[in-house]
Amino acid sequence: MTAETSTLVPSFVVFHVGTRRVALSRDWVSELIASPLLFSFPHTTPLITGVVLRRGRIVPVLDLGPGVLGAPSPATRFFLVVERHLSNSSERCAIPVQGECELLAGIMLPSMRQEEFVTGYLELNEEQIDVLDLEKAIAAGVRSHEEPIHGTEALS
Amino acid sequence: MTQPASSDRMPRDNRRREQVAVFSIAQYSFAISSASIQEIRSTDSLGGTVVELDRPVLRKVRHIVERDARSYYVVSGYEHFHLPPSRPTTVLILRNAPVAVLVDRIEEMAEMRVLLALPQSFRGEERIWYRGLTVLERKVLPVVDPLGFLTTGERQQLEEQNPGLLLTAAVSRHER
Repeated sequence: MTAETSTLVPSFVVFHVGTRRVALSRDWVSELIASPLLFSFPHTTPLITGVVLRRGRIVPVLDLGPGVLGAPSPATRFFLVVERHLSNSSERCAIPVQGECELLAGIMLPSMRQEEFVTGYLELNEEQIDVLDLEKAIAAGVRSHEEPIHGTEALS
Repeated sequence: MTQPASSDRMPRDNRRREQVAVFSIAQYSFAISSASIQEIRSTDSLGGTVVELDRPVLRKVRHIVERDARSYYVVSGYEHFHLPPSRPTTVLILRNAPVAVLVDRIEEMAEMRVLLALPQSFRGEERIWYRGLTVLERKVLPVVDPLGFLTTGERQQLEEQNPGLLLTAAVSRHER
């Protein structure tokens, strides 16, 4: 992770969800972890692909792909650990990311995009990088799973 | 019984421990408290009489088995967890519920040292299925809630659609 720190401007973590380069406010992000063992078990919650064990904690893995790309993210070795703010508490989750992440300081500009989970954009080397609202990106992914097809139904 | 700990941190080693049976269905492994199991039998040696439900209102329950003057709803493990069809060879007969669960096989008996709460991000049926998660030999496994195989509502639904069947099965068995 490269750092361009400034105490005057906010920081963002820039990463890839599949082929799309996006950013999250640094305030949401705890750490980047590589190659944790992913444990999966049956459940019915959309977007969760399993859990990882991190320093004695169980961290659910949430794929932003369905909301941000419209498809699940490809398999990866890297996970960004973020802090979700749930109704009464907060919880750490791991987001699968592709390639390297960058930490950069910059001013977020208002976005003209229709996607409600995009709160603004950053300009980096003439590229526009969408800044995500984490909970809205998760909600968009959940909506895309509204009619799940379970394994048994798919095979019957 | 092991008390659920917060999923934030694993407590140290001075907790009460719990014996569990680790079983598998399809490619997944699960732990269940040994205290909640009355018997573990092979499907070939289960014995008793199998009665087909007149109205199988739940996809996962199609039969009742009568044995030793008791009747049990037979719950398909793979249907319960919404998994692809598997090859059950083992039956877990539960102690505190009239339920016999079909699973693929028993992997091992083990000692569970920690029970972690299911993270709040999990919001589906798994909150009924599992008591929490545990770590055995560096693997994270879900710890099944035995009462989650057939909830009170599901049992009521079965009894309403197949009135007296469980009772009739038990009585007819007793009279023989």
